[in-house]
Amino acid sequence: MDVFQNLLMGFSIALTAQNLLLAFIGSLLGTLIGVLPGIGPAAGAAMLIPLTFQMGPTGAIILLTSLFYGTQYGGTITSVLMNVPGEAASAITCLDGYAMAKQGRAGVALSIAAVGSFIGGTFATIALVFAAGPLTRWALEFGPVEFFALIVLGISMLTGLAGKSMIKALMMGVFGLALAMIGIDPIRGSPRFTFDRVELMDGIGFVPVIMGLFGLAEILENAEKPFAQMVLARMSTLIPTRGDIRDSVGPILRGSVIGTTLGLVPGITNSASSFLAYIAEKKSSKTPERFGTGMVAGVAGPETANNAHANGALIPLFTLGIPASPTIAVIMGAFMMHGIIPGPLLFKEHTAVAWGVIASFYVGNVILLILNLPLIGIWVQILKIPYGVLCGIIMAFMVLGAYSVGNSTFDVAVMTLFGVVGYLLKKFDFPLAPIVLTLILGPLMERSLRQSLEISQGSFGIFLSSPIAVVLLSLAALFLIVPAFMFFRRRKGVLPGDGEAVA
Amino acid sequence: MRRSHQMAALFFLAVSAYLMWESWNNMEYYTPLGPGAGFFPFWLGALLGGLGIAWLIQVSGRSGGIEAGPSLPPRGGIVRILSILLSLAAVSAFMDLLGFQLVMFLFMLFVLMILGRQRIWTTLIIALICSVGVYRLFGRYLDVQLPAAFPAFLANLGL
Repeated sequence: MDVFQNLLMGFSIALTAQNLLLAFIGSLLGTLIGVLPGIGPAAGAAMLIPLTFQMGPTGAIILLTSLFYGTQYGGTITSVLMNVPGEAASAITCLDGYAMAKQGRAGVALSIAAVGSFIGGTFATIALVFAAGPLTRWALEFGPVEFFALIVLGISMLTGLAGKSMIKALMMGVFGLALAMIGIDPIRGSPRFTFDRVELMDGIGFVPVIMGLFGLAEILENAEKPFAQMVLARMSTLIPTRGDIRDSVGPILRGSVIGTTLGLVPGITNSASSFLAYIAEKKSSKTPERFGTGMVAGVAGPETANNAHANGALIPLFTLGIPASPTIAVIMGAFMMHGIIPGPLLFKEHTAVAWGVIASFYVGNVILLILNLPLIGIWVQILKIPYGVLCGIIMAFMVLGAYSVGNSTFDVAVMTLFGVVGYLLKKFDFPLAPIVLTLILGPLMERSLRQSLEISQGSFGIFLSSPIAVVLLSLAALFLIVPAFMFFRRRKGVLPGDGEAVA
Repeated sequence: MRRSHQMAALFFLAVSAYLMWESWNNMEYYTPLGPGAGFFPFWLGALLGGLGIAWLIQVSGRSGGIEAGPSLPPRGGIVRILSILLSLAAVSAFMDLLGFQLVMFLFMLFVLMILGRQRIWTTLIIALICSVGVYRLFGRYLDVQLPAAFPAFLANLGL
């Protein structure tokens, strides 16, 4: 079957009443999570996983992916109306979005962001459709040696680009891998690091860990100050002028390309995409000095790039089995909980699931476009709820989500513990994303390493026998060495500035 | 500030030492078929140790003191954080015994009244929705069974 036939089959699955409803609920909940302070997309997706146990894999993944790109749009609403980014990727939108809101043009900013997000998301989905075939064929040549090299590359890209300190990012990557070692050894079947607790025999649940690290830690951080009521800018007409539309076309096209391209690279977050799109618009503008005063291009470019990135970042997951961000790691975990390993075999062994989910991306983007503009008033009302109330409700649902994964209060304790861990790690400026990615990838990485060494009877030379593995490992080394080299040069005063990768 | 970073680095060194000790002493490092259960965690421990030492050197060096250390929250913030953590610990400890509805109701009362400073009626309505409402909704429509109270007198009340 060719791409178009597969896609048509996917649409026949995505357009069933049940899957349409799930995409609708996911988009709605995603926007809500994006709007709410104190809960990010990773924790939000993790909270929803227990509810997907009764569904088939296609419906479950449609729900979670639509929630994922729904959060991207939700983050924009608070950036424009409150000057508070709901998500890190929307931070740059505050500059011109809030300035537009102060001029009474909040509705226009949100409309342009919605249309840009739709176009960016659709562009990235089309890229996924065409990249899926070649990338999958390439990845089908992978054995355990190449797969191990690929995971090493993914982790090194993530840690190399993760923040101010590469040492800290690597430490978090290794910490996540160590957490993944808890439970029964996948090859020999012996228990490891279980402290004689039956609850740990199946390993540490990634849902409570993620909710603790990304949800509870955020609430604890917010609790440092008294809960304050948020101040909202006034809404206005949603209809942009002809001039607004003309000024948005270029930024939306550029944002689509930037977001999709950067989304392919594991480790580059969508905040980097939206930041680069903003810089690109400023550089290409005839009036760069007016950026920050309410320029439409300053909203259209970053918001398009942000959503294109979110959809583009699913390409490495679907084709190579490598999650590019914590939320995508949660989606990968959901695949695995339904007995499906994302990667090259996904399209071969679970054709209907893969293409059904891809087709649902188009559907989800259309739903978001139709849904969000008329519902802006409701989101504004939700933002008027006192944070103390929102915080209580969010915690109640986190307890519920953590408990429901394994019907165990032990998982609630794990969530609480990792809330403390996440809070302390944030205090020490450790990046949290590497923990989640390596926690999910750890068992796959260990298995492929041990299988490789069993094949070679213990010789590490096997990793040099495959040209693909050599290339991937060389790239991984490059991603680790270059930032380290830059760091030492900077310390010697050769390079000015911080040069920190946007995490 | 430097001291807190050094303490954190030492914590990771302790984790690394534990990983290496546990995997070397209580797991098979290598078997006739290939690497054993202790092989990967042992090297993870070694890597974490190496990175921990590198960080310790970095923060102990001359420029290490420049890095800003974690700032302590104000007294009110510490109280709020500890209240949240203790209430969550209590939820985890008592949910199997007292059931989801009662524990969640008390948890929400505490969070909304004490921390959120909400009015009594707002608090009661939200607490009832999040406890009794969620219990019924999840049990009946979403097939997620939440724990019921263990003592007979509470169970007889439908909790």
